[in-house]
Amino acid sequence: MPENVNDALLHELKQNGANFFASVPCKLLGGFINALERDEDIGYMPVNREEEGLGILAGAYLGGQVPVLVMQNTGVGTLITSLCSLGNYFRLPITMLISHRGSPGEPIGAQVPMGTAVEHLLATINIPTYRFSDPADCAKVGKLVPFASVAEGPVAAILDFDFWGAR
Amino acid sequence: MRRYELLQEIAPIFDREFVICNLGFPSQELYSIRDSERFFYMLGSMGLSSSIGLGLSTQVNDTVVSIDGDGSVLMNLGTLSTIARAAPKNFILLIVDNGSYGSTGDQPTQTANGTSLAAIAKAAGIESSIELPGADAAAALRERLGQPGPHVIVAKVDPGSPKLTPIPLSSLVIRDRFRQAVAEAQKG
Repeated sequence: MPENVNDALLHELKQNGANFFASVPCKLLGGFINALERDEDIGYMPVNREEEGLGILAGAYLGGQVPVLVMQNTGVGTLITSLCSLGNYFRLPITMLISHRGSPGEPIGAQVPMGTAVEHLLATINIPTYRFSDPADCAKVGKLVPFASVAEGPVAAILDFDFWGAR
Repeated sequence: MRRYELLQEIAPIFDREFVICNLGFPSQELYSIRDSERFFYMLGSMGLSSSIGLGLSTQVNDTVVSIDGDGSVLMNLGTLSTIARAAPKNFILLIVDNGSYGSTGDQPTQTANGTSLAAIAKAAGIESSIELPGADAAAALRERLGQPGPHVIVAKVDPGSPKLTPIPLSSLVIRDRFRQAVAEAQKG
């Protein structure tokens, strides 16, 4: 088993079938994004904005892949419409890994309003959302990949400061 | 020439190509001209036809054509740089540029005021980016289907749409038959 949370998380996601990733950067995700860049067995595209990431992953899913969107919680704000009219309407099983700025551990006040809103927003548009706070939970996070297929739609993991060991 | 007449010239060209079609009105027009299980009608998520086509192009051997609109591309300009960086050889972005938001009453877009999407695409790093009159689009598409991309074709047309009805296919039917067509193509 990999020792650090980034490699362990990627290992679990791949074990559960995930094979195509898109990411928007976040300070908390730096190490995980490095792991995505290093991995030659997966498809990976860094993107400019979360919506285009969702679109690219929708295309990859139509092409038979198992997609994961890696992003910061602030991006949920711009993603709502696409999650509804693409993700939910076409029932696309896309796993979202959302790092959680604006929660305990946060040094920047401007992050807090969106940090507080994110789970309410996802609940409002009926995205199954689960919070993980322990790096030992990587195996549980990995289980979201098959769950997205079972749920036939986008599902989200909120990964906070404690999960990344960043406090 | 409006988008509808352009699509009448384009639709017969598609053979093994996978097509991602933008929004309600353009999708209705394409569907009324010709339907195929290789057409994905993206009925919502304005702006993402280009991105979906990009993602699909990484997974299939056949060429992927995203039919997009000027208003839609203006909403997702960043993806032009992502297309340039990924540089899929089998991807063509066909932007039908009527200079208007056709589905909402033909309000002008910024391409009606001088913005060139072909110039933006080229500056983003997509070398094969061209703007041409709609009447030349079918020939340009045929030519590029045989050449390594990515390609961007901006076809200038007049605003306006015929009155059509919504596509009588559910989103899940559109999704599943398309995925099945991809799976079969990859087998063969």
